[in-house]
Amino acid sequence: MATQTQVTVNPALERGWLYHVQDWVTTVDHKKIGLMYIAYALIFLVIAGVEAILMRIQLLVPNNNFVSPEVFNRLFTMHGTTMVFFVGMPILFGFGNYLVPLMIGARDMAFPRLNAFSFWVSAFGGLLLYFSYFAGSGLYGAGTAPDVGWFAYAPLTARVFSPGHSTDYWTLSILISGIGNIGTALNIVATTLCMRCPGMKLSRMPLLVWLYLVVSGLVFVTISPLTAAQIMLLIDRYLGGHFFDTQAGGSAVLWMHFFWIFGHPEVYILVLPAFAFANEIIPVFSRKAVFGYPAMVAASIGIGFISLSVWAHHMFTVGMGPGPNAFFTFSTMVISVPTGIKIFNWLATLWGGNIHFTTAMKFAIGFLFQFLVAGLTGIMLSVSPFDWQLAGSYFLVAHFHYVLVGAILFMIFSAFYYWYPKITGRMLSEKLGSWHFWLFLIGFHLTFDFMHIPGILGMPRRIYTYEADRGWAIWNMIVSSGAFFQAVATLIFVWNLVASYFKGEKAGPDPWDAWTLEWSTSSPPPSYNFATIPTVESRRPLWDRKHPEEPDAHYE
Amino acid sequence: MERENKIHMPLPTAWPMALALGVALLVTGMVTSPGVSLLGLLLMLLSAIGWFRNVLPVEAHEYVEAEPDPMQVPSFRSSIEYLPAGPMHRKMIPVETFQFTTGLRGGIAGGIAMIVPATIFSLLKYHSLWYAMNLMAAGGFVSWAEQSDQFLAQFHIEGFLAALAIHTVSSLLVGLLYGAMLPMFPRWPILTAGFIAPLLWTGLLSSVLGIVSPILNARIDWWWFVPSQIAFGLVAGFVVNLHAKVRTSQFQALPFAVRAGIHANEPLDEAGGPESLK
Amino acid sequence: MSTAVAIPHQPIEEWKLPSRGIVGMACLIIAESAIFIIFVVAYLFYIGKSLTGPTPREVLEIPWFATVCLLSSSITVHFAVQSLRSAKVNLCAAWLAATVLLGGIFIAATAMEWYDLIYHYGLTVRTNLFGTTFYSLVGLHASHVIVGLLMLGLTLIFALMGKVNQHHAERLEVISIYWHFVDAVWVVVFTVVYIVGR
Repeated sequence: MATQTQVTVNPALERGWLYHVQDWVTTVDHKKIGLMYIAYALIFLVIAGVEAILMRIQLLVPNNNFVSPEVFNRLFTMHGTTMVFFVGMPILFGFGNYLVPLMIGARDMAFPRLNAFSFWVSAFGGLLLYFSYFAGSGLYGAGTAPDVGWFAYAPLTARVFSPGHSTDYWTLSILISGIGNIGTALNIVATTLCMRCPGMKLSRMPLLVWLYLVVSGLVFVTISPLTAAQIMLLIDRYLGGHFFDTQAGGSAVLWMHFFWIFGHPEVYILVLPAFAFANEIIPVFSRKAVFGYPAMVAASIGIGFISLSVWAHHMFTVGMGPGPNAFFTFSTMVISVPTGIKIFNWLATLWGGNIHFTTAMKFAIGFLFQFLVAGLTGIMLSVSPFDWQLAGSYFLVAHFHYVLVGAILFMIFSAFYYWYPKITGRMLSEKLGSWHFWLFLIGFHLTFDFMHIPGILGMPRRIYTYEADRGWAIWNMIVSSGAFFQAVATLIFVWNLVASYFKGEKAGPDPWDAWTLEWSTSSPPPSYNFATIPTVESRRPLWDRKHPEEPDAHYE
Repeated sequence: MERENKIHMPLPTAWPMALALGVALLVTGMVTSPGVSLLGLLLMLLSAIGWFRNVLPVEAHEYVEAEPDPMQVPSFRSSIEYLPAGPMHRKMIPVETFQFTTGLRGGIAGGIAMIVPATIFSLLKYHSLWYAMNLMAAGGFVSWAEQSDQFLAQFHIEGFLAALAIHTVSSLLVGLLYGAMLPMFPRWPILTAGFIAPLLWTGLLSSVLGIVSPILNARIDWWWFVPSQIAFGLVAGFVVNLHAKVRTSQFQALPFAVRAGIHANEPLDEAGGPESLK
Repeated sequence: MSTAVAIPHQPIEEWKLPSRGIVGMACLIIAESAIFIIFVVAYLFYIGKSLTGPTPREVLEIPWFATVCLLSSSITVHFAVQSLRSAKVNLCAAWLAATVLLGGIFIAATAMEWYDLIYHYGLTVRTNLFGTTFYSLVGLHASHVIVGLLMLGLTLIFALMGKVNQHHAERLEVISIYWHFVDAVWVVVFTVVYIVGR
C-alpha cells in the first residue's frame, strides 16, 4: 500500500547487525526514538561524569597539577554544557517521547518524522561539540574545545579574546541541538492536544503529561531566546557585528540578560520532568491517588509562568540597581510558593499511604528531601545582599548541583527503576538497586553537603587550584571523595541496566499494580502500543478496570 | 482505518536523519571548511525532497499485524477490604462550604463593627473621634512618626482616606479567610471564630507590627485592640454563619443515591461517620 | 450493595480534538515570536547607541509600498484558502499567484533598499550598532518571508500541475497561518525600525 518510499525493508536481508542499524536509523516509532534519546544521554552522562571526576581529582589537594589550567577550563565548560544540553534535555525528552503517547492512549506522536529529525539533529549537535576535541591541533593538544564557561559571558566570546573556533563549536552545537529541542517540544504539545484517546480530557490526563505540556511550552519561550542570542553571537564572530562588542557601544550585560532569560527557565525545564516522574511514582508506591490533582496542575502552570520572570537573580552582582534587585528577589521568592504546594501535595500523598520502599520509591523520597534543601539554599541566594556575598562561590555551585543531582538525577534514577520493566519487559535487580541507592546517597551528601562550606569560606567557582593555607583543603578532600562513591554507584547502575536486560526477572505488563495506561499493554509495548484504542473515564483508568465495583469515575 | 487486525502506522524513513545530518554538516563547515557546508547543503536539499515525497500526496504508511490486547490487567489486591461502613467507601469532604462573597460580607460587617470599640477608645483616652483612625493611617505616612498626640487627634483628609483604604482591604481579606475557615471548625464557632482567632491574630500582629508600622506599634493600646478584634470576629462570624452553604464539586461527584438523600447517613454525617478515609 | 443505582455518567459523546497541523504551527509561531522578541529588544536597546554614523534618520526611508504589498498578501492568501475549501482550484491558484507576486515585490524592495544602503551609504553589519541590529532584524524577517514564499510557490506549482485538491485545504491553511504571522511580525518590525527607531 505504502508507495513512494526509497527505504523499504528488504525481507530477504539477513537479520544481522546491518538490519538493526537500519531499523534504528530509519525508525519513526516514538518508543525507539525515546530510547535513542535516553541511550545517547546516558553516554554523554558518563562522559560529562568523567570530566567531573577529573576536575575533582585536580581539586583533591592544594597546588595540584593533575591537569593544566587550560584543560581545566575546557573541562568545566564541557561538563556544564554537556550536562545541561546533551544529558538533561535529551534524557527528559527521551522519557517524554516514550511515555506521553502511551499515557494518553495514542499510537505515536503527532509528527513521527519530525520526531526522528529532532532527535538526530540534537544528537549531531552533541557530536559536533565533542568533535572540537579532535579539531584544530587535535587530541594531543586537546583540540579546540570551548573554554569560556557554560554561559560564555561577553566579551570573553569576542574574536579578540577567543580566537580560533573553540567558541564557535559551543555556539553552533547548541544552536542546532536547540532546533531539535524546539521540534520535540512542538511534537509533545501537538501530541498532547491532538492525539488523546477518547475520554482523556485535559482534566483527566496523568500529571506527567501535564508537566510535559508545561515543559514544552517553556521550551518555546526559552530555547528560542537562546537561539536568537546564539545567532547574534555568530553575527558578531563571523560577520563582524557589534551586538556584544563593548568597544563599539555594544553591551556585555545584554548577553547576560539574553542568556539567563533562557538559563533560568531552563532549570525548570529540567526539574519539571523530575516532578512529573515523582507525580507518577509516589502515588503508585503509596497506594493512594495523588493528593490535590487540580492544585498540582495549577502549581505546574504557575511555576511555568513565574519562572519566566526570575532570570536576573543570576545577575545581582552586575549592579542592576535597587529596583530590579528588589523585583527579582521578590519574584524568586514567589516561585517557592507553587513549588511548596507541590512538596506538600507529595507529602499528603504519602500521608497514611501504604508505602512500598522499592528502589524507585527510595530515590523518590531522597528527591523530596534533597529538593527541599536545595529550595532552601535557593531562597537564601534569592536575597540579593546574601547573593552578593556568595555568588560565584562554591556555595552557589553546591546549591545548583543539589537541584540538578539531588533532585533531578535522583528522580531520573527513580524513573529508570520504575519504567525499565515496561521498556524491556524485565525487572531491574532490587538488590543492586539498593546498593546503587545507598552508595549514591552517601556519595551525594558527602560531595554536595560539604561543598557548601568552602563556598562560605570564600572559595570561588571555576578555580584551577588553591593554596594550602586557605583552610579549604579538608573540605575539598571530602567533596572529591564523595565523587568517587557516586562514580561507583553509577557503575553499579549501568551494570544493573545491562545485566537485568538479559537475566532480569520477567516483568509482565503491570509489575507495580499501577494505574496509568502504559501498564495496560504488554512489556515491551508493541509498535502500535494499543491494539484497540482505550477509552478513559477517570484519572486512573487502570484502577477503574481493576476495581469495576468501585471506579474512580464515580468520584471525580 | 483499521482493517481486521491491521493497524495503520507511519513507514520508517531515513530522510529525517539525512536532513539532520545535512544541517549538522552545514554548520560543521563553519568551523572546518566551506566544502563541508556545501556537502551539507546538498544533503539538505536532497533529503528535503525525499521527505517531501514521503509525505505527499499521502503520508507513507504500512499496516502492522496486531495481536489482540494481551490481558485483562489484574490487581494484586483484587479485593478491597471494606470497612463495615456502608456502601460508600470513600469520604468526600467538604461537601458544603460558603461562597466567597459570604466571607466578603462578613468582612464588611465585622469591619464596621470594629469601628465602635476603636472609637470608644479614642473618645475615652484622647477625647477625639479620629485618633484611632489616624493611628492606622500613620502606617502610610513616615513623616507622622514625630507628630504629637494632639496632631493625631485632629481630622486629616489624607489620614481618613488612607485609613479607609487600609481598613477596607484588611477587613475584606480577613473576612475571606473567615469564610474559608469557618467550615473547618464545625464545633464552637463562637469560641473559635469569635475569640481564639482574634487572639491569634493579635498575637501575630503584636510580633510583626514593629516592622509593618512602627508608629502604630509605639502608641497602640493592646487592651483596647483585643476587644475591637473580638468585635470583628463575632460579627463577621455571625454574618458568615447566617448565609447558606453551597455544595462543593465533591458533592456533585457523589453517587445519585446519596445526593438524593436515599442513603442519608453516609458521607454527609461528619461527627459519627465512618473513618473510611484511611 | 444498594448503591447499584445507575450513576448518570455522560457517555463519551463526540470526541473531537484540534487539528495537529494547526496546533503544530501555533507552537512554531510561539517559538519564532520569542526569537523575534529578542531581536526587537536588542534593536530597541541599541537605538541611538551607535558610536559612529550613519544614523537611521540619514539613510532609512519608509517603505510604504512594500509594506502595503506584504500586508495585502495576507488578504490574498486568505482568499486562496477559502477558494480551495470550496473546491475552486483554479481560483485558488490565482490567489496564490497574487500572494507570491506581492511577497516577491516585498523581497525585491528589501533587496533594493539593502543595495542602496550598502553601496550608497556604506552601511554594513560592521559599520556600527545600527547596521548590526538593522540587518539582523530585517534580515531575520526577510528570511522568514523567503521561506514562506518557497512554500507558497511550491503550492502554486502543484496547483498549476493539478495536484492540489480540496483535501489539501487544511495544509494550505497551516501555510497561510504562517504567512499571516510573517505579516504580523512585519508590522512590529516596521514600527520599531522605521517609526520608533527613526
